[in-house]
Amino acid sequence: MDLSLSTRTEGGRTIVEVGGEIDVYTAPKLREQLVELVNEGQFHLIVDMEAVDFLDSTGLGVLVGGLKRVRAHEGSLQLVCTQERILKIFRITGLTKVFPIHPSVAVAIASSD
Amino acid sequence: MRPAYGGDGGAVERTDYRAVPVPAPSASDPAAAYPLRVLLIEDDAGDAFLVEELLADSPDPMEIVWARSMAEAMVKLGEDIGCVLLDLGLPDAEGLNGLHRLLLFAPRTAVIVLTGLSDAHRGSAAVAAGAQDYLVKQEIDGSLLSRAIRYALERKRADESQRRLVESELRAQENARLERGLLPAPILRDPSLDFRARYRPGRQRALLGGDLYDAVQTADGRVHVMIGDVCGHGPDEAALGVNLRIAWRSLIFAGLTGGELLTTLERIFEHERRSDEMFATLCMTIIEPDRRRGRVYLAGHPAPLLLTPKGIAPLSESATGPALGLFPDGRWSHESMELGTDWSLLLYTDGLIEGRIGPGPERLGTDGLLPLIGRLLAAGHSGYDLIDSAVAAVEDLHGGSLNDDVAVLLLRHDPERPLYGVQGEHPVLPGQTTGEDDTA
Repeated sequence: MDLSLSTRTEGGRTIVEVGGEIDVYTAPKLREQLVELVNEGQFHLIVDMEAVDFLDSTGLGVLVGGLKRVRAHEGSLQLVCTQERILKIFRITGLTKVFPIHPSVAVAIASSD
Repeated sequence: MRPAYGGDGGAVERTDYRAVPVPAPSASDPAAAYPLRVLLIEDDAGDAFLVEELLADSPDPMEIVWARSMAEAMVKLGEDIGCVLLDLGLPDAEGLNGLHRLLLFAPRTAVIVLTGLSDAHRGSAAVAAGAQDYLVKQEIDGSLLSRAIRYALERKRADESQRRLVESELRAQENARLERGLLPAPILRDPSLDFRARYRPGRQRALLGGDLYDAVQTADGRVHVMIGDVCGHGPDEAALGVNLRIAWRSLIFAGLTGGELLTTLERIFEHERRSDEMFATLCMTIIEPDRRRGRVYLAGHPAPLLLTPKGIAPLSESATGPALGLFPDGRWSHESMELGTDWSLLLYTDGLIEGRIGPGPERLGTDGLLPLIGRLLAAGHSGYDLIDSAVAAVEDLHGGSLNDDVAVLLLRHDPERPLYGVQGEHPVLPGQTTGEDDTA
């Protein structure tokens, strides 16, 4: 299994669409992508996780790292996720209090205005 | 031939231990009893024909299996293939990407890369990336090719034995360090409590993890049990896990407990970690001296399971605070536990629930773990046998060894055994204070 990544801009936000499995093998790709966006000056990110099948603690670490990077520039990192098994991982780790999690990209964009 | 290749940006090191043995026709015995099977991955029919013709005159019997694409090669690449001849300009694998995929799929097979005159420079890059040799197509003749194949086989065998030697030495050293550092001797003196722990490193040595646990009975009679997991894998994480465990034990000895302990532990963690992306999940349970009640703190860690004659249930549905190191000034509350008299607590790290349960992306999860443990209990498993059977059942579902490391603790209170004695009947450890607010 692998990780797919694509980015686009919508409503002044950068949407990172992630698909597949974010684990110890693939998390570095996501990290590179987030670092690259921040280096390009994109500080308001929405990570769309609707197509993510699996997320482990290394992947969570990368998301946390991304959040810390954008916050250093007064930015934001929001998540889009409705999958119960992924949401559960965020609840267990206490990250639901750290990441704004939205049911759709449209809601995420609207809420961050 | 493709004019350019994609580089190795997508390559991820993932050594597979599924053994694909290299057939061992002795080099000193060229007339080996069976022909060596060589897989030729080449999209150009003309080039493929040429290679077959060249090898037809070889003094060693060789059988050529031809694949026109990487996809076809993956199907034809069985255990009987001794050597692969790989063209670097395949329709479905640009440049070294094909080689990476091949080595991932069949790490034990010797590979010779075929290049054209125009991209001969790629040959040395391929050797650096793990191929045994490279040949420029325009310069090949029959004897050169068969000699190169024999040579590649020998070299692959030598590389393999060297790798195994180094790997087993490293693993032995690492395991020794791990056992000393991560895996402590618990400090428990209550005969009514039975503590069992198992730690299994992940399938791959590269995935040495940062699982940690400890159990300490303090002078006030309370028992503190902790399990945690430094996110990520590698020596840094494992070392940080050791630091965290020692820090936890020190703070317990110094009389700290509960949320105050976690706040201090987090400060230590933040100073000790290498990058601020690192965080750790931790679960701490505190069992009161009467052994009937307790508290659980969940710093982003899966909740322990409470096993009683009535059934199995997680101690909490969600975290009582964030994982350590996420954000400054984390605060942790707790949930109270009513244990009864006949109980066990099963604490674990997420390696136990992240295993697959089928060909799809589904994982076991806490929802799957509960019935699995229930079945084992019903079948009469207990103690180490319960832990080992649980790990074995999870591995069975996963279809092999788990990727992540796993720690599982089982703390059982046996009502038949004498309860822990009254205060003063036990030695007080240096630096320990007696209970400050234990009025029960």
